Amino acid sequence: MYEQEFNKLFELARGKVDDIEIVLSSGKAFSVKIHKQSVESFNYADSKGIGIRIIKDSRVGYSYTEEFTDEAFKMIIDEAITSSELVENLEPVKFDDYPDIPEKLHLYSEELNSVKVEDKIALAQKLESLALEADKRVFNVPYAAYSDGFSYSRVANSKGLNKESKANYCSAFVMALAQEGEDKKSGMDFVMSRDFKKIDPKKMAEKGVKQATDLLNGSTPASGQYPVVLNNEMMASLLSTFSGIFSAKNVQEGKSLLRGKIGEKIGSSVVTILDDGLHPDGMMSAPFDSEGFPSQRTPLVDDGVLSSFLHNTITAAKDKVKSTGNGSRSYKGSLTVSQTNLVLQPGKETVNDLLKSYDRVIEVVSLQGLHSGANPISGDFSLAAEGFLYENGDRKEALANFTISGNFFQILQDIEKVADDAQFNMQSCSSPAVLIKQLAVSSK
Amino acid sequence: MISQELIAKVLERALSNGADFAELFLENTYNSSIRFYDGKTQQSIVGKDFGIGIRVFYGISAIYAYTSDLSEKGLLSAADAVSKADSKDQIITPKGLNRVRVENIHPVKIPGDTVDKAEKIEFIRRIDKSARNFSDKIAQVDLSLLEKKQDILIANSEGLLIEDTRNYTRAYGVVIAASGAENQTCSDGPGAMGGYEFIRSLDPEQIGKNSAEIAVKMLEADYAPSGTFPVIIDNGFGGVIFHEACGHSLEATSVAKGASIFAGKMNQQIATEKVTAIDDGTIVNKWGSLNIDDEGTPTQKTVLIDKGILKSYMVDRLGGKKMDMETTGSGRRQSYKYAPTSRMRNTYIAKGNDRFEDMVASIDFGLYAKKMGGGSVLPGTGNFNFSVAEGYLIRDGKIAEPVRGATLIGNGGDILHKISMVSDNLELAEGMCGSVSGSVPTTVGQPAIKVDHIIVGGRK
Repeated sequence: MYEQEFNKLFELARGKVDDIEIVLSSGKAFSVKIHKQSVESFNYADSKGIGIRIIKDSRVGYSYTEEFTDEAFKMIIDEAITSSELVENLEPVKFDDYPDIPEKLHLYSEELNSVKVEDKIALAQKLESLALEADKRVFNVPYAAYSDGFSYSRVANSKGLNKESKANYCSAFVMALAQEGEDKKSGMDFVMSRDFKKIDPKKMAEKGVKQATDLLNGSTPASGQYPVVLNNEMMASLLSTFSGIFSAKNVQEGKSLLRGKIGEKIGSSVVTILDDGLHPDGMMSAPFDSEGFPSQRTPLVDDGVLSSFLHNTITAAKDKVKSTGNGSRSYKGSLTVSQTNLVLQPGKETVNDLLKSYDRVIEVVSLQGLHSGANPISGDFSLAAEGFLYENGDRKEALANFTISGNFFQILQDIEKVADDAQFNMQSCSSPAVLIKQLAVSSK
Repeated sequence: MISQELIAKVLERALSNGADFAELFLENTYNSSIRFYDGKTQQSIVGKDFGIGIRVFYGISAIYAYTSDLSEKGLLSAADAVSKADSKDQIITPKGLNRVRVENIHPVKIPGDTVDKAEKIEFIRRIDKSARNFSDKIAQVDLSLLEKKQDILIANSEGLLIEDTRNYTRAYGVVIAASGAENQTCSDGPGAMGGYEFIRSLDPEQIGKNSAEIAVKMLEADYAPSGTFPVIIDNGFGGVIFHEACGHSLEATSVAKGASIFAGKMNQQIATEKVTAIDDGTIVNKWGSLNIDDEGTPTQKTVLIDKGILKSYMVDRLGGKKMDMETTGSGRRQSYKYAPTSRMRNTYIAKGNDRFEDMVASIDFGLYAKKMGGGSVLPGTGNFNFSVAEGYLIRDGKIAEPVRGATLIGNGGDILHKISMVSDNLELAEGMCGSVSGSVPTTVGQPAIKVDHIIVGGRK
């Protein structure tokens, strides 16, 4: 797709720049939200954008457009050249024709493509009605939604690289509000897949509702230090928030405290983390990255020892290593480094085993404020939490109105056990529940 | 951008299956950013956002489609997509379009594209130098200069055809102080709905020095205490408490669904008499201001809470339809890729009569939150959180040693009844607010306020 546009840009750039790379993304998306069994909203998206990165006199320039006309294409070539002239930092940048991955990834499902709109609406309606029926304390289901999408990406450069890939997905989301007396709590569930049949509205509604009702009329724990189990979703959220610490770009810019720690023990021996760009269940899996470099599996932490950072070709050249296929750039932005599917490896014990490890354990099942109360550069976090108090493995009561505070780098050292219940979150991080030796709990 | 005939044709097609209302939002945006770190200009990116969003209502169902294919074929196919989502027998025809150019209340004195990039880079370099000169503990200064010129055209089946140009200019920076195995940061992001004159009004040396000073101070500070304390939240970005604890829950988006703690509370006392809160889109050149909202409604100054009594929600066209209320000009969206919904503009607590000194003197042990970070809320439960970026303990009525950032948590329905003192040093501060219709420029603001009890999520 978009052969003509690529040819036009190569033609316009010829003789004006030393090298050029073109990235394109386009896609279609659909979503429906249901409220009181009626369609609250339908959305159809048809998006496209093209971005260029040029090299001229060893300087890099960028520009992009969402308008695909000759005039706009001329503008972005000129803007990219002008922008390159301002750049003071000369990076070891070069383009190349990289090989393909040997295996075939299954990122696109024809079957998903043929699901009828009526079935999608019916699914969202079911999510709402099942959530309302699941428990009489549910008084509102503000979100019952289904969405799906198709994406196409293409990258080509003046060294002969020319790759394309397509993918699709579907997802569903439900949020329920429950009330008992004056107390209100919310619960939610989310599923993302390439298989429409994998979305089970009953299971989702029940899970979201249970989360809300279980938390009703919780007490507040006394402030102090407690052993804490972060459930699989919350540990995955924390891992997503701090995933930037593994980026070689952040390391080189002094924004990661992992700088200079390759080969050192940065976590307890049960901590093994990898970035898996080829994971069959990972929504960030792709055959190549934004530079066209082949995707791979990269071990980051092995039994607690830091083994690698995530690289694009520029950060790799600076560190004299190979790219890990984590070059990342939207057509609007500049080249950076991003995780693909970040996986904290599960263990063999069950969540219950973790919960009975101490006399008193707090299980955290909800965290708020990850974008503001957690600082990836310092590692510090202080977050609003909800959860349960366990005594000798028995759930004693729900807990609300408290915060947990600590430092992510310390958490990696303090993880004593990892459970067997790994699952992916919305940000393509997968984690099991983990037991942390101690965290500061603050309330009254 | 497209002809009036084609706009009329697209609106007619969008209504052709019986929708009650059709609207079109066309955008052509010029985005420019310069990024500077490691003491060097790293990148400069200029680009163009371009596309159209078409929306129809069937009763209170909203159907939205967007595309960047602005050919007649592309537009009609988007109009078909929205019109075919439902069908009703009665077909209405759009009213004749009456083209108006908006009255601009936010003048641009110096358009960003007339200023030499060398001057922009020099401005950034001065912030960098000033921060690094402050202390040898400054490990990184990451700065951006962001400029955006958004040309929009809004047309609807009620005959509206209006065009506007919005200019945004903002400097954003993060300063990192490092010592041994520890990093602390301070960020700042002054911005305006205006041109480059805003940047020329700033003092880069002061910006660099202030941020560096806070980052270094936090490096040397101990952790904040844990527990429930009285807290003084200072002016400017401190207003994030109202934004999170209350503002989002007053948006029609959640109120209309009954998923807000303030639903059904109109004309009731929801805060202490000390609290008057306003959402104002008319403040000249303010970051969250507008001429018209993203539905073409002229902006206004909306009093939300008057001496503790709930007076208004923030209402967009669809929310108004659901709640049987007039729009307050609050329909906003990040871009053509989002359907608009009710959002905040410049939202602040009005100034009171208490003196800052008296507020501090009234506390034996508590926290003085001088500078705030961001936060979030679940409007359905009212539970909110927001983070302190620069804090100090208050001991025996005096501001004492600095403490590191901690999150403050509480419930919006509850916290407004605990605001016991409001000072007179009102100030606004710029931020970006993310919600269902994307990320939009908003300001938060307040004079210093005293909250009698709030949970402080410290570590000691």
